[in-house]
Amino acid sequence: MASTTHPPAAAAAHSKHETSPGKLVLNWAVLCGLTFATFGFSQLNMSPGGHLAAALCISTIKVTLVVLIFMHLWHGEGVNRIVFVTSFVFLLVLMFFVMADVETRFTLSNSRIPPMPKIDQKMMPTGMPPGMSDGPSSGEAGQK
Amino acid sequence: MQASAARKMTPEGWLEPPPLPHHYDTVENHQSALRFGMWLFLGTEVLLFAGIFVGYFVFRTYFPESFEQAARHLSVKLGTANTLLLLTSSLTVALAHYNAEHGKNRNAFWLIMASVAMGAGFLGIKAVEYTEKFHEGALPGKFFTFSEITAPGGPVFYVVYFFSTGLHALHVIVGMSLLTWVAVRCWRKEFSPTYYAPVENAGLYWHLVDLVWIFLYPLLYLV
Repeated sequence: MASTTHPPAAAAAHSKHETSPGKLVLNWAVLCGLTFATFGFSQLNMSPGGHLAAALCISTIKVTLVVLIFMHLWHGEGVNRIVFVTSFVFLLVLMFFVMADVETRFTLSNSRIPPMPKIDQKMMPTGMPPGMSDGPSSGEAGQK
Repeated sequence: MQASAARKMTPEGWLEPPPLPHHYDTVENHQSALRFGMWLFLGTEVLLFAGIFVGYFVFRTYFPESFEQAARHLSVKLGTANTLLLLTSSLTVALAHYNAEHGKNRNAFWLIMASVAMGAGFLGIKAVEYTEKFHEGALPGKFFTFSEITAPGGPVFYVVYFFSTGLHALHVIVGMSLLTWVAVRCWRKEFSPTYYAPVENAGLYWHLVDLVWIFLYPLLYLV
């Protein structure tokens, strides 16, 4: 169902906002530098929360650089920016509510869920891998 | 297909672009629609990986000690090498896009093939890491027999590790296939200043693969 061909005259219009190879290489160098910065921060003596915050901040900067420069969103159409930002916002919404739930759970005082049965370690099958014999305080709900 | 078979070489040295579909007024409209479609698809990909990342944070909250112990048993050197490989492959893909946009199909071909080779390198390093984990018994769920992780939840870390890196590796393989297909078309000199959308869209997919790894690398190997 083709009716016309691509008019060559339109060629000039497409590249008015292109990113030069020099800028692409510079962006790559900055990204590599930030990768080493992430590694450097991980070697510092900080709390686990501090490590996580530093890693996420640097990763977010790196992702922003890739999206804006390598993926041309800086000069791209606004509608594409909306699509990407929206998907990212929904990721954050999902993460926020799930983590808000996980971080604020407590034992319900009127829970009808019976406590988990106590596992007799002697009854565990031989060769049970380490780490499998215990869980994340799974019997908390309903415990008195 | 008949139209593509009849395409001729232009004086500038590239094949005539395929005919403009009748429902687009201009080439710009067509290119914008192709780009927009790709961005919509990438949006769904972000949401696909969102589930994996949420799983990571939930299980990390439940089993902080085992996640910390397990991260120490991953090779930071190999993880960093893989990060640099993917970042460099993203650069070569972006440069290939620039060259295809200017009708320099042969340059674009070699740059894309370099990206594919770096993708293969990434998978090779991943295979080395996986092999090591298999020998150690550092595996998900009931297959876990790794004695050096003593805190509860070790098997859960490796569920997250293998699922996240496995799904990512699957995307690397798809990305390499797309790039190879585009490289063949570059070799045939199909791209020109008015028609380069396949290079751009395959490149966008490859950059997404890079984006996911940018978050996975510190979360799995460093934190």
